[in-house]
Amino acid sequence: MTMANKSDGQRLELLQGTLDMLVLRILQWGPQHGHGIGQAIRAQSDDLLKVETGSLYPALHRLVKRGWLKAEWGVSEANQRARYYQLTATGKAQLLREQDRWSQLVDAIGRIMNPAPASKP
Amino acid sequence: MRPNIPDNDDLDEEIRGHLAISIKERIDRGEDPASARLAALKEFGNVTLTRDSIRGVWRYRWLDAAEALARDIRFAMRSLLRAKGLAATVVVTLALGIGANAAIFSVVRGVLLRPLVNRDEDRLLYIRQSAPGIGAANMTFSVPEVNDFKSRVRTINAFGDFSTVDFTLIGLGGEPRVVKAGVVGGEFFDVMGLRPVLGRLLNAHDDGPKAAGAAVLTYRFWTTSLNSDPSVIGKTVRLGPRTATVVGVLEPSVPYPADTEIIANVVTSPHHLGATMVTSRVHRMTELFGRLAPGGSFEAARAELTAAHAAMMREHPEAYSAKANVQLRVTKLRDQIAAPARTILIVLLAAAAVVFVIACSNVANLILARSVRREGELAVRAALGAGHGALRRTLLAESLVLCGAGAVLGVALARPLVAMVSGYAARFSIRALDVTVDVSVLWVGAGLAMAAAVLLAYVPRLPSPQAPAGLGLANGSVRITPGTNRRLRLFATTQIAFSFVLLAGAGMLLATLVNMSTANTGYDMRQVMAVDIPASVTGLGDPKAINFYQEATRRIRALPGVEGVAVGSTVPWRDGGSLLHFQFTVEGYKPADGEENPRARMRMTSPHFFAVLGVPVLAGRDFTDDDRRGTEPVTIVSQTLAQRMFPNGDAVNRHLTWTDPVFGIYGKPVPSRIVGVVADVDDENVVPGAALTVYQPVWQMGVAGRLFVRAAGDPYTLVPSMTRVIREISAEQPVERAATLEDVRAEVLSPERVNAFVFSGFAGIALLIAVVGVAGVLAFSVSARTREFGIRLAVGSAPRQLLARVLSEGVRIAAIGIAAGAAGGYALAGIAAKFFEQVQLPGALPVVGATAVLIAAAIVASLTPAARASRVDVLQALRSE
Repeated sequence: MTMANKSDGQRLELLQGTLDMLVLRILQWGPQHGHGIGQAIRAQSDDLLKVETGSLYPALHRLVKRGWLKAEWGVSEANQRARYYQLTATGKAQLLREQDRWSQLVDAIGRIMNPAPASKP
Repeated sequence: MRPNIPDNDDLDEEIRGHLAISIKERIDRGEDPASARLAALKEFGNVTLTRDSIRGVWRYRWLDAAEALARDIRFAMRSLLRAKGLAATVVVTLALGIGANAAIFSVVRGVLLRPLVNRDEDRLLYIRQSAPGIGAANMTFSVPEVNDFKSRVRTINAFGDFSTVDFTLIGLGGEPRVVKAGVVGGEFFDVMGLRPVLGRLLNAHDDGPKAAGAAVLTYRFWTTSLNSDPSVIGKTVRLGPRTATVVGVLEPSVPYPADTEIIANVVTSPHHLGATMVTSRVHRMTELFGRLAPGGSFEAARAELTAAHAAMMREHPEAYSAKANVQLRVTKLRDQIAAPARTILIVLLAAAAVVFVIACSNVANLILARSVRREGELAVRAALGAGHGALRRTLLAESLVLCGAGAVLGVALARPLVAMVSGYAARFSIRALDVTVDVSVLWVGAGLAMAAAVLLAYVPRLPSPQAPAGLGLANGSVRITPGTNRRLRLFATTQIAFSFVLLAGAGMLLATLVNMSTANTGYDMRQVMAVDIPASVTGLGDPKAINFYQEATRRIRALPGVEGVAVGSTVPWRDGGSLLHFQFTVEGYKPADGEENPRARMRMTSPHFFAVLGVPVLAGRDFTDDDRRGTEPVTIVSQTLAQRMFPNGDAVNRHLTWTDPVFGIYGKPVPSRIVGVVADVDDENVVPGAALTVYQPVWQMGVAGRLFVRAAGDPYTLVPSMTRVIREISAEQPVERAATLEDVRAEVLSPERVNAFVFSGFAGIALLIAVVGVAGVLAFSVSARTREFGIRLAVGSAPRQLLARVLSEGVRIAAIGIAAGAAGGYALAGIAAKFFEQVQLPGALPVVGATAVLIAAAIVASLTPAARASRVDVLQALRSE
C-alpha cells in the first residue's frame, strides 16, 4: 500500500486502507486485469499515485476472498491470458460505504486543517 | 459461496500475464524489446515476495499459528536433544507426579463418584443401629424391630433384610467347605434392585418357614469357584443340616454388607426359624435396607425412621439400656459403601497433589536454570527481531514437549499404579476392586501436563528490550541475577517443605506400625498353629460335638511332632472383631446407681489351652477333663477382671453369672465357680489393652470350632496329617485356614503395613525429587559463581572454607524448607481436623526423623557441588570471563 517514489518526490503516500476503495472505484467502469487497474490508478491520479504490484495483487486477492470482487480468466489486448477482476453486488455496496466514509473523513480533516473564519471567536 | 482458492500455477500465470502486458505497452511506446523487458521486471519488483504475500492472503490464521508452533516444537526437540540429561530428569519427574495423580484420581472416581448398578440406586437407604455406649458400632436389628419399622414407616415402601451366617456347603464338587452366606427375606432383591445373570433371584414365594430351600450364587463365587458353569442351576446343595436348590446367579454388584458366596432364603437357616429369633427384641443379627416410596424424600424418610426408632425405645426400655446409648443412622447406600474409603482416598489424593507440586517446582528449577544458561541465546534472538510473543512461544514449545513426554510416560505408569492403589483401597471399599484405567486418566494426565507446561513457560524471565544485552550478546556466558537466584531457592525450599510434610506423615504411619508389630501379645506366636474346624452340627452342649473334639485332640496329640493340642472358640485377631461382649456379675457385686453390669468377652477353651498358647495361669488351675457335662459349672477369668471385681485378690472359688438378656433364651443363668485366673490377653485389638475375659470349658459348653496345635518343628508340616486324622473321625468335617498365630497377626496388621508402605512410597518419591532439586540449585549456583570462587581462592580462602560455605547454603535451604513445612503442616492439620474426625499429628519421633532425613539429604545433595567449588582452578576461573 505504499506508492512508488522512484521517479520524483511529488508522488504521495497512499493512506492506510484507501487502496481497497480505489480498486473498487476503478472497477466501477467494468472488468479489468491487475496491470490495467494499476495503470488506471496512476492515470486517473495524474501520475501522483503509483501502486506497487507487491501491494496491488495481495489487495485484489483479499477483496476476492471477502466476496467483493470475482475473478475470471480472459484474454488481454496483448493476446495474453489475464485474470479479469469484476465488482460483485456486495462489492458495489461496499464501494458506496467506503466512499461515504471517505468523504466524511476528508470533510473532518478539512475542517481541522482549514477552519472556517466564521467559527473563530 | 466461497471463492476458489487459486493454486500456484494460477498465481504464476497471473504474474506472467501482468509482465507480458507491461512489456507490450512499452514496446508499443517504442522501447526496444530487451530494455522493455528489463524495465517491466524492475517495475514489478520482487516476484517471489509478491507471490508469497498473495498466497498469504489465502492462508488461514490458525494454520499460520500451528505452523509456527510446529516449527517451534521441532526446534525445541533439537535443542532438548542437546540437553538429554536435563530433559530425561524433567520427563521422569513429571511422569511420577502425573502418574501418581492419574492413578489416584481414577480410583477416587471409581470408588466415590461412580453410581451403583442397583436400580434407582439413589433411592436406596441403609439403616444402622449402633450403641456407642458399649462400643458396638453396628449392633444390627432384631426381627421385632424390623417389623416395627415396617408397620410404622410410610416413606419407605419396602425393607430388605440380610444376615450373615456360615454354612458348611456340601455339593457343587470339591471338599466340604465353610462358605459365608447371606440369609435374606423375600423382598431383599427387589428392594436392592438387582437382577440375575442366570436363572432367577429369591422372591416372596421363597420367604417364610414353609418354602423350599433356595439359594442364589454371587457372581464372584460363580465365576471364580465354578468357572461360570451354567449347569449349576437346579442343583441341590447341602447347607449344614438343610438343603437348598440353586435357583440363579446374581449380577456383579457391590456385595454389601458382606462379601458372601451364596445368598439363601430364611428356611435354610434353622437359627432364623427359632422362636427366639422371631420374638426376642434383643436377638439382633439383621442388616436393614430400605427403598424410598415414590415421591418420598431422603430427609422425610430419615425423620420418620428416627421418630419410629425413638418410639420403639420408649415402648421397650428393657431392650435399649441407657448406658448403651442406642442410636439410629440412615444413609444412602452409596454413601455408606464409599464412607470408609473417603478419608483414605482424600488423604492419598492430597499426597499425590503434593508430589505433583514438588515435581513441578523441581522441573521449574531445572527449566529456570536452563533458561539462565541460554539467556545469551534468547538475547541474540531478541536482537534479531524475535518479539516477546515469539520468545515465549519458543519456551512454551519446549515445555510442551517436556510435559507431553512426561504425561505420556505418566499415563503409562498409571496403569500399574491403579492396580496397586485399587488393591489397597479395596480394603476400605469393595468397589475399588473393579476400578480400571479409563479415558478419564488421559484427560487428567493431559490437563496436568498442560497446566505444568504453561506454568513452566512463564517461569523464566525474558531478556527485556530495555536492558543492555551487550554483555550477554558479547560472550554468551552465564550470568546469574539476584532475582533468578531467589526464584531458584524459593522452588528448592518449596520442595523441601512439601517433602517434610510427606516424610513426617509417613514417619507417623511407620511409628504406628512399629508400635503394633512389637507390642507384646501374651501368646507364644511362632510354634502355635490355629486351624478352623467349624462344627457342622452346632448347638450348646451338643454331646456329639464334645465327643468329636475330645477324640480329635486325643488323636492329634499322638501325632509325632505335636507338643500340645487344645480346642477353643476363637482364633486370636482373626475372630476377634466378631466377638460380642456380654453382661455378667459376680457374687457380692453391686453396680453403682444408674450403672449397668460390666461386660466381658466370652471364650470357650478346652484343657491345656493356656499351656498350648503360652498364657500363664496366675492363680488356681486350668480346666481339666473332669470339667465336663453334668459336673459343677466352672470358669476361668482374666487378671484384670479378677482385680477389678475382687480387689482383695480372692477371685478363686467365688461365683460368676452371665446376666446379659441374650442368654435369656437358654433359661435362667447358672452361676459358675471361678477355678483360675490367667494373664490378660487382648486379641481383639492389635495393640493390647486391659481385657475383661471369661473362659468357659468346651467340655461343658460344646461350642468350639478352632483347633490349636503346638508343634516342635515347623507347624505347617503337621497340616496334612492333622487333616487326615480329623477326616477319619468325621469324613465331612471342613479343615481350613491353618496358620501360625504369627501369620494370623501379620495378616491383621497388613492394612497398616500397606498404609505405611504406600505413604512411604510417596514420601520416598518426594525426597528423591527434593534431593535432585537441592543438588541442582547448588550445582547451578556453583557453576555460575566460578569466577567468585576463583577470586576467593586467589585472595587466600582455603578450599575447605568454600566447601563449608556451599554445604551451609544447602543446609540453610533445607532448614528454611523444614520450618515452612512444619508450620504449614500443622496449619493444614488444623484445617483438616475441622473436616475429618481422626486427624492425628505426628509425635516427636517422626518429626525429628523427617528433619534429620532432610538435613542429611541436603548435605548429600550439596556435597558434589561443594567439592566442585573447592576444586576451582584459580587461573582458569579468572580467565573464564
